[in-house]
Amino acid sequence: MTGFDHAFDLSRRRFLESIGIAGAAFGMATAAPWAARAAQSGRGRGGGDRVRFGVIGTGDRGSALLENLLQSRNGVVAAVCDDYAPNLARGLALTEGKAQTFTNHRAMLDARAVDAVVIATPLHMHASQTLDALDAGLPVFCEKSMARTLDDCTAMVVKARETRLPLQIGHQRLFKPTYLNAIAKIRAGEIGKVTQVRSSWHRHRDWRRPVPPGSGLERRINWRMYREYSAGLLTELASHQTQVADWAFDAVPRRIMGSGSICYWKDGREVPDHIALIYEYDGGRKHIYTSLLNNRRYGCEEQIQGDNGSIEAEVGKMFAEDSPPVPGLQRLIQDVSEGVFRTIPIGGASWASELPVTHIAPQPLGRGEYNETLLQLEHFAETVKTRRLEWTLLRYGYHASVAALLGEQAIETGQPVIWPEALVLPRTIT
Amino acid sequence: MTFDVPMPVSVVSDRFTAMGTRAEAHLFDAPAGPDAILLVRRAVARAEATLTIHRPSPTTALNERLARGEAAAVDDPILLDALETAEALWRRTNGLFDPTAGAFPGAGGGGFGHLGFDARTARVRPETPSRLDFGGLGKGLALDHAATALRAAGVVAGLISLGESSILALGSHPHGEGWRLGVPHPEHGGYFLQELTLREEALSISATGDRRAAVDRAPTVRPETGEPILTAMTAVAVDRSAATAEAFSTAMLVATAEEREALVLAASEPTRLFIHVFDPVPTAVRVLA
Repeated sequence: MTGFDHAFDLSRRRFLESIGIAGAAFGMATAAPWAARAAQSGRGRGGGDRVRFGVIGTGDRGSALLENLLQSRNGVVAAVCDDYAPNLARGLALTEGKAQTFTNHRAMLDARAVDAVVIATPLHMHASQTLDALDAGLPVFCEKSMARTLDDCTAMVVKARETRLPLQIGHQRLFKPTYLNAIAKIRAGEIGKVTQVRSSWHRHRDWRRPVPPGSGLERRINWRMYREYSAGLLTELASHQTQVADWAFDAVPRRIMGSGSICYWKDGREVPDHIALIYEYDGGRKHIYTSLLNNRRYGCEEQIQGDNGSIEAEVGKMFAEDSPPVPGLQRLIQDVSEGVFRTIPIGGASWASELPVTHIAPQPLGRGEYNETLLQLEHFAETVKTRRLEWTLLRYGYHASVAALLGEQAIETGQPVIWPEALVLPRTIT
Repeated sequence: MTFDVPMPVSVVSDRFTAMGTRAEAHLFDAPAGPDAILLVRRAVARAEATLTIHRPSPTTALNERLARGEAAAVDDPILLDALETAEALWRRTNGLFDPTAGAFPGAGGGGFGHLGFDARTARVRPETPSRLDFGGLGKGLALDHAATALRAAGVVAGLISLGESSILALGSHPHGEGWRLGVPHPEHGGYFLQELTLREEALSISATGDRRAAVDRAPTVRPETGEPILTAMTAVAVDRSAATAEAFSTAMLVATAEEREALVLAASEPTRLFIHVFDPVPTAVRVLA
């Protein structure tokens, strides 16, 4: 084992241990069984056949997923597919030229060259590629959000239920120790009744990717700017955090209100660069969300607020609503009032209850450290082997995608949008 | 000692969370009353806002430049003061206290000595990519700022605790000479590891003994090599400056036995240093200073 491999193996073990520690706190086997299974299977030596993955879409995100897949213990990258030559070359280079290449996803499916597909194409392509893969009998890992339209999101779920094939959506926070620990403490009542989640994803950039001059590829490369292909901040960022809010509340929103505008980057884009939404849950609980592209002071945060404390999930911190007094200092106050002078017991390292902090600042994907993105992909590989549809994960992914799209409706109509009952998936399926 | 008729003493108190820990402050017969207690919050908040690496701050902005090995000016006065203090303490502890993180000189990396900090010009010119982490000094600096503000406001008696490991003792206990503090024995409840009397001094405690309280917290490491310190120990340091006490308690923890002895021998009033090493058999506690 090389020095790098050894370091990576150590980071894997530390990561899985932290999942185990989080899981011990709240019986993860029942509350987050996917994470328990992932951690358990991850401790193995990776025996048995490796799943042959085909990665469809090897742009920025697809390449990042590909780099993770190359480090996975239970998968290999057998094929890459992209209809944009530079991206395809990038994907092939990452596999050191070993993968088969395709410019059309149907050709990849027809070639029967893979056991499962990973889809990281622009949002508007997710549905057709997912449905084609499931029809071909192949499990699918699809990047979030699920699809561009509500009908497409629903069609993907229906197809997964029909085929009973694994369909997993890319919400890696469901595998991150910081979040698992946060949910453990919420479920244990440590911050009391959670009534509000306040989250934000603020950046300071135009969010554009460079386009070769004169290529005519603006809409293709910067698809996130155009309504035909994406709902922008909602589908590309917010859905991560609507998933976290659903997880914290253990519920699905009932009503959404929203406001959005092209406030700062007036450069021909069609989607807002500044959004604010309120997702209302039963009992008057709310998820308040903002995202903008001209200030990064408050970055990416989720503040989960209960009547007994707060959790800042992204940075892994928990705060009691009222700090308990230091016993020795309480005694001091009493001593002073009684005229007593004696030794004050105090001292010893202590911390406010803190969740494990795994990342302080966003870490770039790629080689180096085992992380939740890799764990979710290895988990997917295990479901491919066992042909198990992880329904709870799919349910979170679906509701997060619907939340993004209904948020778009609320912004465009300027009216509150009621979450349709038909778009609430059951907690379990037979 | 008790008095038959206790003299009435006014006390203003505050409890809040800051710097990732719980803070508690008690001021006795403070001239400014409740306003005085706000001085503590403000001082701690200002220090945290400047020195945190967990949110955008002057320190994280500087770290972005340091990570690229770029020179940078240090414009923020609190950050500049922190760097000046850190440099002095890095020298006094022979490098055992080092607020740079991640790159270890023994492995060809950085370290404070390679930061190229010039207090006169308020600039850093790193020789290698580097990063600052004031986690081992921030509480002490915050307490020193609080002490300055409280004394200026006429406060003569108070006790402020940040995480119960960094404690500032202003003046004396209302009913006695100084403040008598006892560090509880980590394994024998009801016993003190050490008792000290402080007057206008600060106390810092650093320990490796109990890892269970903090899941996945980074271990204390030797700055030279990054080697984690695994021996169960508690280091206690006292000084007029809380920052000095904090730096020395950390240094004592990461030092070898010889280095520790050198620190103790070199320490002069007001600095007092103590180390408690816990053998595998807990009863055999050796106090080296």
